[in-house]
Amino acid sequence: MTDNQERSARGKRKFTSRYPELGTDPVDYEDAISPAFFEAEQEAIFKRSWLYVGRSERIPRPGSYFTRELPGRLASIVVARSLDGTLKAFHNVCAHRGNKVVWQEHPQEETSGSCRQFTCKYHGWRYGLDGKVAHVTNEQEFFDLDPSLLRMPPVACEEYAGFVFVNLGDDPVPLRSHLGERILELEAYPFERMTQRYGFSTRIHGNWKLAIDSVCEWYHPPYVHGRFIHKDVAKAEKMVPPVDAYHYDLFPPHMLTSVPGPPPLPPREPGTAGPAARDQRWVYRLFRAGLFGPDDVPDLGELPDFLNKGEIRSWGNDQFWLFPNLSVQIWARGYYITYAYWPESVDSHIYEIDLYFVPPVNATQRLAQELVVDSTIEFAMQDVNTIEATHSALATRASQQFHLSDQELLIRAFHTYVRQAVEGFQQSRDEEA
Amino acid sequence: MSEAAISLPDGFSELEQFVADWARPTRTERYDMRLSKSIDDLTEFYDAIAGRAEEAIEYLNGRDIEALTDADARLLQLLYSLILVSYPVNIFNQPRIPDSGAAFFDCVVEPAV
Repeated sequence: MTDNQERSARGKRKFTSRYPELGTDPVDYEDAISPAFFEAEQEAIFKRSWLYVGRSERIPRPGSYFTRELPGRLASIVVARSLDGTLKAFHNVCAHRGNKVVWQEHPQEETSGSCRQFTCKYHGWRYGLDGKVAHVTNEQEFFDLDPSLLRMPPVACEEYAGFVFVNLGDDPVPLRSHLGERILELEAYPFERMTQRYGFSTRIHGNWKLAIDSVCEWYHPPYVHGRFIHKDVAKAEKMVPPVDAYHYDLFPPHMLTSVPGPPPLPPREPGTAGPAARDQRWVYRLFRAGLFGPDDVPDLGELPDFLNKGEIRSWGNDQFWLFPNLSVQIWARGYYITYAYWPESVDSHIYEIDLYFVPPVNATQRLAQELVVDSTIEFAMQDVNTIEATHSALATRASQQFHLSDQELLIRAFHTYVRQAVEGFQQSRDEEA
Repeated sequence: MSEAAISLPDGFSELEQFVADWARPTRTERYDMRLSKSIDDLTEFYDAIAGRAEEAIEYLNGRDIEALTDADARLLQLLYSLILVSYPVNIFNQPRIPDSGAAFFDCVVEPAV
């Protein structure tokens, strides 16, 4: 072990043995390549789980709204802040003849804005911010029409810590019950101060669960991201923290990976970055930032005690996995990233990454954030292509038994939770039948 | 493009030759430019901006980030481009991320400045 590795080692024993119900057997990935499983998963999970659709800062005032086109033809919805300040969500479908009500220029593209009423572009029917009909054009021409019963169909919508969730199911459990005690602790974090947002989206030709697998372990970095660490992979292997520097926790169906990271560089006087060099370490010194965040950390007060519960030395971030498809990654250096995974088909999904910072007050802070964003996306692009490579190889079914090490505990857990959700739903449906 | 539209703040005139390509307001435009260039072009740009970067940062720190003049904003955009080309120049030795194939992220939201 190098000195660096020695410093972050903690001599912890294995994590997987704490969860005997998950076993240690080899696994198969039929759940990632079977079209039938995909259909079952959409029905059992995505059509009846709380799904994150955006931050509440996007709709700050009564009348603010945004639309979402939920991938996989799940739904087209409107989320609006009503006059009393509460959030309402409804399907973006006119009660008259089913036209999409809220859109601009391109019906397939999402939009946002502020208004008092939504007007259907087809025949001018109007809806209030709660989705109820406010005006029917030439109402007297209809037959036995009761406008008080007409509306854009409602969708359950709840907010927690500024994260807005919808649920397409009938009569879902309350959001807070779904999240559970440990995830609710995140409310202590000042997310609302981090309004400087960068948003990215891409389509990945691979199953959505394989994408989650690829970032809930820290086994891959010396290989997938080796060039960032050292051009000689043998050296890169020695530079990453040892396996026991990490911390994992499960609060089914949610999960946590807690990760070490380098401490920020000490403050420096302007003009002391040294002569320009073709060396990324010089770039990091110049802009006072790296993959683990800016070196000048905003003052957010005392760190809430829900973070770094595994007491990692030189803590880098806590990545909370909120079942089924959201991760909230809170960084030691005062910013956070959300990752959302939206299946479109068994072998395709939309991947959304949003980074949030405290708004910068000067060029140094602004540039440090830019560097963090660019580094995050350069890394993410490397992860993406690996997922496509994995999916295409798995889909051949040439091998059907695969092996997970202790540091891949979350992968074992996540696939188990997905299968349990599907089986549980099918069982209850069979019992009803 | 008019003379005024490519000007940088006083003292940075030797970087004017890079303004047309690299002083671009959106990340998408800057990334497209990176992919359209050879690694030699990127290295030339990197060396030129890197040599003046610290002075540029100091100059911009003396300005209100919310009220930059067009010339100031262009200088800031050159620094954004410097960050974006630092990965190819210092790490990848090619404009694209190695092994990234068709992978690409669309930038859907970014700060106005």
